[in-house]
Amino acid sequence: MKKKILVIDDDLNIRDYLVSLFNDNGYEAYIAGDVKEGIKEAKKIKPDLITLDIEMPGEWGPRFYRQLSQDSELKNIPVIVISGLSGHQYAVVNAVASLTKPFDREELLKIVKETLN
Amino acid sequence: MFKKILFATSATGASDHAARVAFNIAKSYQSHLNIFHVLGVPSRGYSQVVVDVKTKERVDVDEDYTAWVTEDIRTYYEKYLDESLNYTIDVAVGVPAREILRQAKILKPDLILLGGSTGDEGESVYKKSSLGSTLQKVAKSANCPVLFVNRPAASFWGGLSNIVFGTDFSKISDKAFDFAMKVAKTLDCELSVFHALDISALHAGKMLNQDEIEQQIRESLRKIRSRYEPRLKELKGYSMDVWEGIPFIEIVKYARDKQADLLIMAHHSRKISSEDIRLGGNVEQVIVRAGCPVISINK
Repeated sequence: MKKKILVIDDDLNIRDYLVSLFNDNGYEAYIAGDVKEGIKEAKKIKPDLITLDIEMPGEWGPRFYRQLSQDSELKNIPVIVISGLSGHQYAVVNAVASLTKPFDREELLKIVKETLN
Repeated sequence: MFKKILFATSATGASDHAARVAFNIAKSYQSHLNIFHVLGVPSRGYSQVVVDVKTKERVDVDEDYTAWVTEDIRTYYEKYLDESLNYTIDVAVGVPAREILRQAKILKPDLILLGGSTGDEGESVYKKSSLGSTLQKVAKSANCPVLFVNRPAASFWGGLSNIVFGTDFSKISDKAFDFAMKVAKTLDCELSVFHALDISALHAGKMLNQDEIEQQIRESLRKIRSRYEPRLKELKGYSMDVWEGIPFIEIVKYARDKQADLLIMAHHSRKISSEDIRLGGNVEQVIVRAGCPVISINK
């Protein structure tokens, strides 16, 4: 069974790119454009991994992570932060990795593989 | 809530994380932001020669130089300065702490915001275990809350929603609680009240057994409930916890565990009559180590 990855990012181009990247590499990708949608999708699909943008309209990524970690069913889902903001590596302390946009696709895939395997 | 913010900055890397917090708070809450820079102490008796913060060269301070520095600060923060931001830039000459306090006296801000110290070759203080003297002096004497952003982690990620208030049950802590309540109510935040039971200082020389520790935890929790809970019920969410250990470590751990956006604490250094300008040890250590901005209240 394919591992499910939820991509949370308000940038349509990044979402499309990540979805293609994950789908092409044997994963099943889902998308959300903001924190609210992200929580809704996470509850619905129970992803194996989440990629999370930091700066988004309305609530920001760290707010999503806080809600995620307060939900007993979702709190153990690993999160990879992908952001263009400086200092983003400090935004979600318990993220499994924090990548800067533009990121290296091989590096991301390696982290995803290591995390999911 | 934060109508007027005084952001004292060196306009160097040491203040970058504080800058992000300052500009984001100002934009989020439509505050007036006063960007304030102190050029340094005149190096000769009656002259206006100062050491430039960036070039480290001695320069004569005149109108041209002040205008140049103001423009340089504007350029440094260009990415944050747009039409939606209500700001002014002021430059002064003198001892930084004194000038910041003087500026605060004139502006009467709701908040003074300070970044890392430049005293260590541009390094932020987060790598050191003590605060710079300017930060200590301003925190001790300011008439309004002082927000510190020392570590790079201490950034403002999309607003405030989760505040931790650390109490030692002192009168000043009660004042700090009033402020924490005001922030939490105005900005619709959750508030976690925390007390760290200091097992290192208790009964010096005598190791407490676990029953004694747990008894004291229960007592502290009862104290939190009776002292704070009636008002906490006014908020959308709150929690109350007591952990035992070394207070500043436990407070930093608790804030991290709660993923706090802001930590609010009182400190007691106004009571110190000697020349010792250090903040209360726990507050200073929390400011240096916390992974989120820390507001210190001294009156």
